[in-house]
Amino acid sequence: MTQEELESRLQSYVGVREGPYLGWDQVNRAMIRHWCDAMGDGNPVYVDAALASEVYGTDNAVVAPATMLQAWTMVGYCGKHPPGSASIEVSDGLPIIDVFYEAGFNGVVATNCEQDYHQTIVEGDDIHHYSSIESVSGRKSTGLGEGYFMTQLFEYRNQREELVGEMRFRTLHYIPAAQAGQG
Amino acid sequence: MNEITFDSVKIGDQLPELAVDITAKLITAAAIASRDYQNVHHDQDAARSLGSPNIFMNILTSNGFVGRYVTDWTGPHGVLKRVSIRLGAPNYPGDCMRLKGEVIAKRESDRSLVLQITGRNKLGDHVVGDVIVAFSGSESCT
Repeated sequence: MTQEELESRLQSYVGVREGPYLGWDQVNRAMIRHWCDAMGDGNPVYVDAALASEVYGTDNAVVAPATMLQAWTMVGYCGKHPPGSASIEVSDGLPIIDVFYEAGFNGVVATNCEQDYHQTIVEGDDIHHYSSIESVSGRKSTGLGEGYFMTQLFEYRNQREELVGEMRFRTLHYIPAAQAGQG
Repeated sequence: MNEITFDSVKIGDQLPELAVDITAKLITAAAIASRDYQNVHHDQDAARSLGSPNIFMNILTSNGFVGRYVTDWTGPHGVLKRVSIRLGAPNYPGDCMRLKGEVIAKRESDRSLVLQITGRNKLGDHVVGDVIVAFSGSESCT
């Protein structure tokens, strides 16, 4: 595949909105606790329902850390979205990733994450998301190797279809320098 | 320490530094807690084959630490509205990330603060972020 063909294939995915992608679990105290345990986050609103009700106006429910937004619909170990999602058997969540892999761009690092929180996520919520690819850059030379920056826009919605948060997520897809055959 | 409120804060105020020891245990625990099973966050050989000297922290964890750093400072009445981060130098095991923050604006319209947060390790800036945090209504009664 020439660079031109690759770039035209990559661009064909831009602007297409896909979803919904469901979450495997409802928002729950165990996953919140595991997150806070690893992050060292002792904010009591994640464990104390009475305090969360006072601060966030919940109905005697704890809230989830706002920054957990993305975690609720991650594919997890099995690499699949749950049944009921727009598609299930996709590698790393997106068909465009297969195109990157085929062309040898199998390295991936996340470079930017912008999250806006519109509504508090509360235990018991069912979160799903829609995603679209906003842009794919031209080919760049980076410290990791030659690659493309891809920006995705995610809309996160709850069981009432209310927009709880949005995320712009940028990743670099690169040919690892170790594989590029240079000395 | 007195509780942070919108009115008690001035532009230019600094957040107390938070030092985070970066270990393989932290990187993997937080990657799994964020449901991120990309091999570069738990498998050293895989990370090396992709050109990285070691496993490294995933972006969801960096984001989580930035959020936690801000709400550690505000206390439970701080409500995050926006966390926007850019990653630079990776967080590898054995390093230490020092988080610092500064109040760069106060928005009277929704009584929120705009903060700039930086997390540095020995390689440079791991994360640079802008955070908007508001305060729940009860603080205005104090």
